[in-house]
Amino acid sequence: MVEVKIGLEIHCQLTGLNSKLFCPCQCDYQGEVPNTTVCPICLGLPGTLPLLNKMAVAFASMISLALGCKVQERIMFYRKNYFYPDLPKNFQITQYNAYGITSIGAEGKVDLGAKSIGIRRVQLEEDPGRLIYENADVNANFYTLIDYNRAGVALVEIVTEPDFDNPKDVRLFLDKVTSTIEHLGVCDIKLDGSLRCDVNVSLKEGKKVEIKNINSFGDVEKAIRYEITRQKTMSIREIEIKSETRHWDDARKVTMQSRTKEEEQDYRYFPEPDIPTIILGDQFISTIKTKMPELPDERKIRFLKDYALSDHVAKVLIDNKELADFFESTVKLYPSSPNEIAHWIISDLLGLIDDIKKEERSLLSGLRIEPKHIAELVKMIDQNKINRNIAKSVLSQITRTGEMPSYVLDKMNASLIDNESKIAEAIDSIFELEISAVRDAKQNPNAMNFLLGKVMQMTRGRADPKITLNLIKARLAKME
Amino acid sequence: MPNHLYRLTANQVTCGIKNGQFSAQEYIFQILERIEKVDNKVNAFVLVDKQGAIEKALSIDKRLRDGEAVGELAGVAVGIKDNICIKDLKTTCASNILESYIPPYDASVIRSLKENDAIIVGKLNLDEFAMGSTTEFSRYGPTRNPWNLEYVAGGSSGGSAASVAASECAVSLGSDTGGSIRCPSSFCSVVGLKPTYGCVSRSGLISYSNSLEQIGPVGKTVLDVVMVMNSIAGIDENDQTTKPIRPIATLTSEDITKSNISSKYTADQNKRNITIGLVKELIEGADPAVSKCIYSAVDLFEGSDCKCEETSMKSIQYALASYYTIATAEASSNLARYDNIRYGFEYDPEGYEWNTYFSNVRNNFGDEVKRRIIIGSYVLSAGYYGKYYLRAHIAREMIRQEIKSLFERFDVLIGPTMPILPFKIGQKIDDPLKMYQIDIDTVIANLAGIPAISMPIGFSNSFPVGLQIMADDMCEQTLFDVASFFEKIVDVRRSPEI
Amino acid sequence: MVSKDEIKHLGWLSRLELTTEELDRYVSQIDEIVRYFDKLDTIPLSESEWTYSTKEVSELREDANRVFKWEKLQSLKNRKDGFIKGPKMS
Ligand SMILES: [Zn+2]
Repeated sequence: MVEVKIGLEIHCQLTGLNSKLFCPCQCDYQGEVPNTTVCPICLGLPGTLPLLNKMAVAFASMISLALGCKVQERIMFYRKNYFYPDLPKNFQITQYNAYGITSIGAEGKVDLGAKSIGIRRVQLEEDPGRLIYENADVNANFYTLIDYNRAGVALVEIVTEPDFDNPKDVRLFLDKVTSTIEHLGVCDIKLDGSLRCDVNVSLKEGKKVEIKNINSFGDVEKAIRYEITRQKTMSIREIEIKSETRHWDDARKVTMQSRTKEEEQDYRYFPEPDIPTIILGDQFISTIKTKMPELPDERKIRFLKDYALSDHVAKVLIDNKELADFFESTVKLYPSSPNEIAHWIISDLLGLIDDIKKEERSLLSGLRIEPKHIAELVKMIDQNKINRNIAKSVLSQITRTGEMPSYVLDKMNASLIDNESKIAEAIDSIFELEISAVRDAKQNPNAMNFLLGKVMQMTRGRADPKITLNLIKARLAKME
Repeated sequence: MPNHLYRLTANQVTCGIKNGQFSAQEYIFQILERIEKVDNKVNAFVLVDKQGAIEKALSIDKRLRDGEAVGELAGVAVGIKDNICIKDLKTTCASNILESYIPPYDASVIRSLKENDAIIVGKLNLDEFAMGSTTEFSRYGPTRNPWNLEYVAGGSSGGSAASVAASECAVSLGSDTGGSIRCPSSFCSVVGLKPTYGCVSRSGLISYSNSLEQIGPVGKTVLDVVMVMNSIAGIDENDQTTKPIRPIATLTSEDITKSNISSKYTADQNKRNITIGLVKELIEGADPAVSKCIYSAVDLFEGSDCKCEETSMKSIQYALASYYTIATAEASSNLARYDNIRYGFEYDPEGYEWNTYFSNVRNNFGDEVKRRIIIGSYVLSAGYYGKYYLRAHIAREMIRQEIKSLFERFDVLIGPTMPILPFKIGQKIDDPLKMYQIDIDTVIANLAGIPAISMPIGFSNSFPVGLQIMADDMCEQTLFDVASFFEKIVDVRRSPEI
Repeated sequence: MVSKDEIKHLGWLSRLELTTEELDRYVSQIDEIVRYFDKLDTIPLSESEWTYSTKEVSELREDANRVFKWEKLQSLKNRKDGFIKGPKMS
């Protein structure tokens, strides 16, 4: 098998800030009227100077620490010079490490269990504005509409070493980084465009191909798979693979050659003279460390220890902060069965959520479910007031109505049939109907399950399966 | 009412108005009349805000009549270099590309001047985007030297120096990236200061080279320059490269408690025992017509209790190359934003491919600006960053270190501001390198970030000669003390016949 | 020696389309100027700190948002339905 090398560049908007990276305009541009969250600074009007946001530096430091990076004592900003109509100054203020490490974080490491992924750097930079085309076909437009509301929003760019050799690990890594960012509270990952990812793919010894414009994390895996196949096919046919930038075509799910040639670019980086060298210093870094919230790895260890969850269950919960938080709130309400609660959340509740929502990572929005519902449901199961099958349908109803499980249960009049004579009546009629199955069951104990199923069907699931099975066994024994 | 109010210094104006000798309105009418009369010859102003000036004067007079307080620069007519933004007033940088640009905000220095009740009379001519040493590269044509209208006024703040010299305003603001305040101040026989880097906010100054430039005042006297500095200097939240100033550096803490000038610069003419370093390389490189004038001034200082010693500054050999590398590099990036999309002149982008539109628009830059953009791109480009930009930066650090060590021995360093006398308009315009080389004496202070002042020291062949005094980082007060002391000794203040 | 192609490429990077006359003139002028810059070549490359301006984190801007009041939008042009109209991208 040909060796593959994959590296990532993740852009994370610091939506947890109030203002943009270099000006006091509000950071949240979603749903705002075009060009209304703008000021002379983020529009790059002549004479304006960037005013670096203190909290953005703190957030980026937190991300760096969470990804195992060394936070630099002195940081600097650089200008990346290139023309593009979404760029108000025709340069982007970013960070750059070619002439000494001055980005906020560097040399980090993220543990994926079996292997670890190196973090080359974590840096702060500004987002450009947005170009809008009235006609979906770019070529058909005679002009472009520009909205600068996004221009100047703080981005943290996370650049990994090319340490991945398969798309699966990429997915694992992205899940972990996403959860980390959520736990830090620096970015609302549910917002459209708040997390973006570019990918570098190369075959062993081969040229590096960059893939941009991958809008959803779910497509990252697809894009990598496509690109590996494309490059492998080319190398089998002995076609030269060029170092280039390709775009992910969201509709057709393929990578496409970009129009602008990379070799024409020369970004002429140089230190941004309007922003002083920022001295972070030990005191700042130690203050940040004490303010760091619990991170996914720490939380997982705690979940394993405090709730005796399995590794897998803990991971699924923690990969999505929303689930982990939901779980803990539920356990607080009903501390007796954390494992049962976890299973109800990750298998039954997650089963009710469609894939699109999962991809958007907005799992519980739209469902009228709260921790108190799961807490009561699990408690009722523990007390044998309801069996699992009924609990499942109760759950599905709760998510639509928001009613309490006990109320739903009463309404369904579905209290468990624990009256043995009623079950016995049902068994009698099944034994009369399924003579051959009864015969089988006498020889093969596994066939008893068929009879159990039939009884459950007849009682519309209200019979206690344990009692029913015992009664069936007793009845069979009597026949011998 | 005294005649020739327009000739008064800023200090005389505020005193006269506050003491009721004349009104702000009477004064400003004379200033506007003066501009009308002489500016068609000098070409210092590119825009005169008559209405704004008169309204401000009336408001000052009203407040004085009502017994209300007025600011420290009350009534003083100030001209502003046209690369400093004034809200709702056209700001063009003397460039076609900004011919119709109206800023929606005031530069921080403008806000300070307005708060101190200065009267802003208009915008002053400059080389396009402040790139030049003669004010010939302007869409409005060259500013002429009030001492001889056939000659250059110096640049790039030619309008700022010529307007003060011609008494079209009492003081003005210029910007100094490599000598742009001091050069024209020397050529026009006025006092011009480039403050320490970070001493005055650059917010609202349209950038040419951000790491080098500062806004600074031009005036007829050192005291006038000090008065403007007291209004504009200090830390500003809109410019993160500003630093807290040290206005009272030469005063002991005892002095501070005794005086009421705790947070102000002063112009104390009684400074004594000054140790002066005369920079050999600067004086040797100068035209004899200039150096002769400097030497006779030095004789006067030595006869007045000052210790004057010749000293050498080896790193000067790298100054000009370092300066032009850094300045053009930063300029090439600063000027990228002029793509005419968000602001600019009327030119509908519809139908144009974006690269074509950008190129068409940017063709409106003048020759010198285009040249510097390309040089700047060159020194930053992939193959040359290490060869030029990085080394320019190292040279800059060498210069800074050497200067620092010199200030362990001297209070101030002096030399000529300009190595030559003013020359005829058009004489050097076709040879860019020759033009750059006349900046050799002034770029040092910008590279080192230190304050430097140019003050009139005499005349040679009836052209003004300026003395440049440099002081250590944030030692503006030393500079003011020494300059006022020299000013008293040499006493060359005259006005051009115009 | 600075070449014509180099200047042309730098012109493209700066979105300056130079005429043949300009190109010829700039090649010789810029060649002379960068030759002068070659003075810098004698300086040994060394580690040097970028020190002309430094700040502590505590001196940076507080993260508070403030709305900029555009009185009249005279400084922004080419507006269409609230957007700013730009050239076509292809
Ligand atoms: Zn803004």
